[in-house]
Amino acid sequence: MLEIVAQAVINGLLIGGIYALVSIGVTLIFGVIKIVNFAQGEFVMIGMYISFFLFAYLGVDPIISLIVSMPVLFVAGVLIQHFLIRRVLGLNDLPQIFLTFALSLLILNLALMLLTANYRTVHTWYSDEALHISGLYIPVAKLIAFVLAMALSAALWIFLHTTDLGKAMRAAAQKPEVAMLMGINPNRVFCVALGIALALAGAAGSLLMPFYPAYPMVGQVFTLMAFVAVVLGTLGNVVGALIASLMMGVAESLGIQFVGADSGLIVVFLMLLLTLAVRPSGLAGGRAR
Amino acid sequence: MKQSRRRTTLKRQSRRDFLVSAGRGAIAAGAFGAYPLRGWAADPVNIGGLYPVTGSFAQIGQACVNAAKLAVEMVNEAGGIKSLGGAKLNLIISDVQSEPTVTRTETDRLISSNKLSAIHGCYASALTLIASEVAERAKVPLLTGSSSDLLNKGRTYTFTPFARASQFANAQLQMSRLVSDKPKVAVIFENTAFGTATSNGLKEQAPAEGVEIVLFEPYSAGFADAGPLLNKVKASGADMLFSVSYLNDLILIVRTVKQIGLKVGINGGSGGFVVPDFYKNVGALAEGLQGVAHWNHDSDANAQKVNAEYKKRYGEFLFEYGGGLIAQTFMIADALERAQSADPQKVRETLSTLDVSSGYAAMAPGGKVKFGPDGKNIYGHPVGVQWQHGDLASIFPKEDARAPLMKS
Repeated sequence: MLEIVAQAVINGLLIGGIYALVSIGVTLIFGVIKIVNFAQGEFVMIGMYISFFLFAYLGVDPIISLIVSMPVLFVAGVLIQHFLIRRVLGLNDLPQIFLTFALSLLILNLALMLLTANYRTVHTWYSDEALHISGLYIPVAKLIAFVLAMALSAALWIFLHTTDLGKAMRAAAQKPEVAMLMGINPNRVFCVALGIALALAGAAGSLLMPFYPAYPMVGQVFTLMAFVAVVLGTLGNVVGALIASLMMGVAESLGIQFVGADSGLIVVFLMLLLTLAVRPSGLAGGRAR
Repeated sequence: MKQSRRRTTLKRQSRRDFLVSAGRGAIAAGAFGAYPLRGWAADPVNIGGLYPVTGSFAQIGQACVNAAKLAVEMVNEAGGIKSLGGAKLNLIISDVQSEPTVTRTETDRLISSNKLSAIHGCYASALTLIASEVAERAKVPLLTGSSSDLLNKGRTYTFTPFARASQFANAQLQMSRLVSDKPKVAVIFENTAFGTATSNGLKEQAPAEGVEIVLFEPYSAGFADAGPLLNKVKASGADMLFSVSYLNDLILIVRTVKQIGLKVGINGGSGGFVVPDFYKNVGALAEGLQGVAHWNHDSDANAQKVNAEYKKRYGEFLFEYGGGLIAQTFMIADALERAQSADPQKVRETLSTLDVSSGYAAMAPGGKVKFGPDGKNIYGHPVGVQWQHGDLASIFPKEDARAPLMKS
């Protein structure tokens, strides 16, 4: 019994690490730019395909291809902020919602057209391997993904708290008007924020590739959980999103184990509703950090 | 295509009011240089093919079209329909876009704008059910490899030459006894119409087959992680796993079974499990996995021959639905031959009396096709298959087995 619970928690934490990379991106964008990026899952998908093609044609290990997918998506984020999102900021919410929603549909359908709906998988030496420790197993590919996801989250936290640009970003998130008065160029900050958020999505894609098949609709598997984690962990709060993602991974896994495999999400949403009933603005209690 | 359609209409007119419009017919003949004045019999016979060439079933739909074209080519190269003066088959493909609503309008459009002798389609049961309703009303015979048992209810123009869904469950249960005498089976299935219907069939028939079901677990399709689900399978102590899943989930399940080091046989059923794409995605992990199919390319010499030709053209083995489709085309040709007419109702008559046990039309498990009053092949049954060396080998039942069971 204890073994089953322990295994369920391990499974939950490992997949929670991937949810975290997606939800941290969403929450960073919301916190800094104040828009909801509905296309985040599609950028995960792009990250997966970058890694897939680098593996298929050049034999590059998907984990190594992080150093390609992250910069590519960072640049994409900067360009999207500068040429698209900047134009609709300051208008009311609808154009912003439709902009990212349209972006999501555009990328999804382009992928369907150019890449077809086929599943693409990558097989590395560690794809099917697992560490076996006293009756428990830890899949190697997921462990690598989890460790790197945590490392990237930590790097982001350090960036936000120690560098001038990071502090400017947090300032812009807390009080944009005051930040502007202090001489912070909002567009520059916004460009970097969107760049970082998309780079994290790209990282999630590359880290998924050794154990998850790529296909155009793949982003949707991860976006639902990412959005729940963003709300649960307080909108705009990076640490909150990270903790909420891990909690949700574990809740889902335990839900599948003890409620039913078609009702794992019941536990997740129950947890969300209970948390919101007690703390209406999420776990971190209304502080956007 | 447009031109041939106009030609058919002209022909129909001239046949109906031959005397009155003889003069007009001659003018028409002049307009279409090749129009034979005397030999109307050599006019091509139109058959319709309804397949999802775009949308979620696109990939398999396109492969179906490839197989259908190959089949028509084979019939035509062998001299066409001899009783109709060597008339060639003309395949008219229509894209049903993987959508039920589109299937309805496309079937309607295909039938009303072409003079068709028969139709085949649509791969996915959900789509075929709709197309067969439309064909029924328009009185055009429809052949299909779709397995839904509903296709045999209240229809007189639908013919199903291959195993039915209810038979698949039975075969799967019997196959589990290849692995152990008292099999303990875990059934995991996606909570959709397809998953629920298939798994309920398994549950109902299990006691009669002496199979114990130790876990019966629905799951939400498209999960991020198969780990928690397989944790339950492990705890159930099953020695055989039936997974009623589409490709994406199945890939994760097979990989996770390997990671856990779970000692369990896997039967992946039919559909996405018995197509070349599955092996491409799962690789060597697929070796030894079992499934069920309504057709397999090693059944007889003819099946091996078409498989070789298909492989030469498209680089992969002929998948179950495509192979069955080639047999269906030859069944239509056989019916046309005996009807001595392209009239769809006459073709329905001769299809209903079809009785073949040799040739391409008889490529099916058991090697015989004869339709009962419900349009079901009275000899139809599924074949149990196993992935062996990147290929699908028939292993069950004994009379259809072409290779021994590979122990894993």
